[in-house]
Amino acid sequence: MNDKKIGLPSVIATGVGLIVATSCLLSLGQGAGALGTGFILTMVLACVINIFTALCMAELNAVMPNLTGGLAQYTLAGVGPFITIVTMVGGYLLCQSIAGSVECAMFGNTINSVFHTGLPSSFYCILLLVVLIIANLAGVDIFAKIQDVVVYGLIFSLTAMGLIGIFNAGTGTRVVQQMNISTSFADSLSYLGLGFFLFIGCEFVIPMSPVTKNARRNIPLSMVLSLLIICGMQILVVIGMGHYTKWSDLAASSSPHVLYGESMLGRFGAIWMVIVSIFAVVSTVNSCINFLSRMCAGLANLDMLPTVFQKKDKRGAYYVGVLMIGGIMIAINATGLSNSSSLSFMILVAMVFWLISYIVQDINVLIFRKRFPKMPRTFKVPFGPVIPILAIIGDIFIIFNIDGNPATRAQIYRIDGLCFVLLSAYALLWCRFRLHRPAFKPYEMKEVMAMENSLYLPAHRRAKEEMKKKAEANLKVTRA
Amino acid sequence: MEFSRIEVITALNRLSNLKQALSKIGVSGMTVIQAIGCGVQNGTQEYEPEMNKEMELLPKQVVIIYVENHKVDQVVDVVKKELFTGHIGDGKIFISPVTNIIRVRTGEEGLDALK
Repeated sequence: MNDKKIGLPSVIATGVGLIVATSCLLSLGQGAGALGTGFILTMVLACVINIFTALCMAELNAVMPNLTGGLAQYTLAGVGPFITIVTMVGGYLLCQSIAGSVECAMFGNTINSVFHTGLPSSFYCILLLVVLIIANLAGVDIFAKIQDVVVYGLIFSLTAMGLIGIFNAGTGTRVVQQMNISTSFADSLSYLGLGFFLFIGCEFVIPMSPVTKNARRNIPLSMVLSLLIICGMQILVVIGMGHYTKWSDLAASSSPHVLYGESMLGRFGAIWMVIVSIFAVVSTVNSCINFLSRMCAGLANLDMLPTVFQKKDKRGAYYVGVLMIGGIMIAINATGLSNSSSLSFMILVAMVFWLISYIVQDINVLIFRKRFPKMPRTFKVPFGPVIPILAIIGDIFIIFNIDGNPATRAQIYRIDGLCFVLLSAYALLWCRFRLHRPAFKPYEMKEVMAMENSLYLPAHRRAKEEMKKKAEANLKVTRA
Repeated sequence: MEFSRIEVITALNRLSNLKQALSKIGVSGMTVIQAIGCGVQNGTQEYEPEMNKEMELLPKQVVIIYVENHKVDQVVDVVKKELFTGHIGDGKIFISPVTNIIRVRTGEEGLDALK
């Protein structure tokens, strides 16, 4: 009966792997370049806010356990279809497409930073994307199989690089500079957006609960421990970077991990970081395309996206989603995402939507507590509403301080605002003409749970068609 | 007397985990009866758009536990958490008072018969 297998250490390892990506290193380099070790305070604050949100998501998982759609289903039962469509299509599909594109851009930048091929970085990104789209359509899963190995390789490499730097054990020239170049607490707060990017993604652990031993304890615990481990690992790297790389060079670099590796261990260090990060980028972007195409299919199953996303090719790939996500990533990379400022700008654009979807989850916790106070919860966030409220305040604070530069901030809001308007129009039309439901009325929880069943949508569509036929027949009789 | 009867009607596949969880908190006996039945949904499957007009009886089990009154809340809490999936058909719990318990073999009564 009991087929749960994975213990706490494995879940933590997977959690760390899901959160850490090569594009995080860009944020790390940007933040450390601007504030020096002052960025550590930013990271700690971002980590704490993320832990609060992670706890809220663990409670949502306890209220509606073992759902494949996760956040979309919580939102549908919490606040209705309009916000579900806007936050899930916007917050997830859009910003993960952007995050995947940034990850992809790191591939081209990393190659050019060491091999100086003379070709534009976007050429390599687009080439990689075309290969991965074909691999996904052809059902090639080699990249998925190596994912765990390469992610653990990345984690080991970063920890090792951090420790080598801290203990001045590198072969490169030691840089003597002021470690903390942050002038005030406000400086640390202004980089919270970039800091937050280092920790997002812990919610991807939740779908592992059916295969986790003592999931009630281990899932929330692993989310918190994963975040703390990542925070510790990145603190090591920031301190190490300060010993071997000038802060100004880090801030200007579009592949700071390679720069740090080269400054500390020479050509060997650069090649080490290139190999690790290239494999990491390939497997991360591959799983991003795969995950997002499945997510589109999941949203279509909830009737939030057109059913065309559920179409599979003969090898089982959701080809419409793969082509759409791959196409979006190619389009973003074709615009010439290559320098560090354009990459971090894109990260911040994605972050706003991601933060909004996190805020909605924190609100869902409070709504469910009010609506179902006696529902058995195998995990409940302690201290009543304090932690969800702090998480909401933290997330809103980050949105309002997404960038220290007011002009950049306004530009980010403009882009996100435009996306929000377009998504809202789509959501309203979808609710009115497709779902025939009020846009802001939550679905009943039992209905959302039933939607998990693959027979739900076909059975309801059939019933609707039959009703329509009956109505038409009645109309004919009345006319006759 | 200070005893209660806790009767749980739930789906057939929940017994193993429920038994384990109750054993962990020191519940020393239970009776399980296989049954057929339905609740307010008249046996409608959760994905079906319309509710059955006539009752459709589905396979269920009835788990009966007798505990001291001061343990009722703890046992009910464990049962609720163990059976909860959020889906229709998780089950229902009925609690009723018991006036006495007698062990036939020894003639012991009350708490002595329960332990």
